[in-house]
Amino acid sequence: MADNKSSAKEASKAASQNKKKIGDILLNNAMYIIILLAVIYISWRVPAFLGLSSIVNIISLTAAKLPIALGIGGCIVLTGTDISAGRVVGLSACISASLLTTTFKVFPDMTSAPPIIVVFLIVIVVGGVVGLVNGFSVANFKLHPFIVTLSTQLITYGVILMYLKNGTNNGQTLSGLTDSYRSLVTGTLFKIGNVAVPMYVLYAVILTVIMWIIWNKTTFGKNMFAVGSNEEAANVSGVNVTRTIMMVFVLAGVMYAITGFFDGARIASANANTGLNYECDAIAACVIGGVSFVGGIGRISGIVVGVLLLQIIFAGLNFLSVDANMLYIIKGLIILIACAIDMRKYLVRK
Amino acid sequence: MSSEERDGKKPYERQMRGLYDRVNLSVGTLNRIIIVLSILLVAVIAFAISKSGYTVTFDSQGGTAVESQERMYGDLLDAPEDPTRQGFVFTGWYRDPDCTVVWDMEGEEVAESLTLYAGWAEEPSDVGNDSVLP
Repeated sequence: MADNKSSAKEASKAASQNKKKIGDILLNNAMYIIILLAVIYISWRVPAFLGLSSIVNIISLTAAKLPIALGIGGCIVLTGTDISAGRVVGLSACISASLLTTTFKVFPDMTSAPPIIVVFLIVIVVGGVVGLVNGFSVANFKLHPFIVTLSTQLITYGVILMYLKNGTNNGQTLSGLTDSYRSLVTGTLFKIGNVAVPMYVLYAVILTVIMWIIWNKTTFGKNMFAVGSNEEAANVSGVNVTRTIMMVFVLAGVMYAITGFFDGARIASANANTGLNYECDAIAACVIGGVSFVGGIGRISGIVVGVLLLQIIFAGLNFLSVDANMLYIIKGLIILIACAIDMRKYLVRK
Repeated sequence: MSSEERDGKKPYERQMRGLYDRVNLSVGTLNRIIIVLSILLVAVIAFAISKSGYTVTFDSQGGTAVESQERMYGDLLDAPEDPTRQGFVFTGWYRDPDCTVVWDMEGEEVAESLTLYAGWAEEPSDVGNDSVLP
């Protein structure tokens, strides 16, 4: 009798523990579950969603948004953020589109486009300078990255608008890009069936590998995680905190510039709205992918998964003809949930 | 945060760092927040899907007005009746107000809400005032 009672007690205890475990799994993966359900529903409603061209499209979009997310990921590891990212993408796209063109509306005196590599280096330097300003202010004045990057966001936007007013352009959309620029970025990498995979997928893969090496195999990467998880401890153990923070932001700026360079050719035009709100998608992707706002936690593979999941859900909603206005609300909710889950994981882990 | 500061706090508060430095929540509260937000997200997605459809508006850029069309993803547009404008010839519908990118009514599928712009060419003076197809 007593045995029965105690074993029943144990059983109920085990059952409640199991229940808790299942609850934990469900809550920690709530975002993935919702996205999975959405994908199942969408592919049931529109079977073409799982078709080859749709999958290639999702992969291409992921590749296009990946570099910016890889850049922002570093800032989030430092418990910061960077909301100037989208505008830097826009500036870089505008510079690329204004130089690698056949019409030269911004620089009417020019007659032929400079070599692509020169333009690429110019945008990288521009992105790096914006990143340096961000990093310098954050590292030396101990300003919160939010306020620093808010100001550089506005300044960059002003620069874009002035830049587009240059020459005979008068603020118009830049187009008429050179074929060499377009084919370098959007040319066919290889074909699956008769669906072409664009070149920038390859570049995104290369950038991901480079960032993986930087994050995991270099002293700088280790310092970044050390500063992110505990700045004081990192300082005491001899890490140059100021230089590490500055380098993270410069690297991020370079990644935004590369995103912009690809985006100009990918969209085949650039204007003042190019890159608008890209940082929101990138931050959301990082948080979904497990780059934690507590600092010092994050993996490159997580960022890739985060960007991919976001593109899957938005491509799917696009297939269901959901209006872009609604997508903003959905994105906002996704960020909130991802943050709550991120906090929960951290609290439970302690 | 120094260790003295930390010791005065409840266990769950001790752990918060970074952007969550000042967050003051227990796991139970977070669970409820996650559940409520998840339900809200699913509801919003369901609402968005129920209201799905893209609106294609036609900006005739000075010509006679053209009614907008509601389309689903991947649908073609019905070519609307060509607008007319005094002294100009209608040249087609374009993606941009500057009329550089043509919209192909028979081939291009709708993938977002968009506005198409009428293209106009100045009418040669020896032709009458009525608009003529290009």
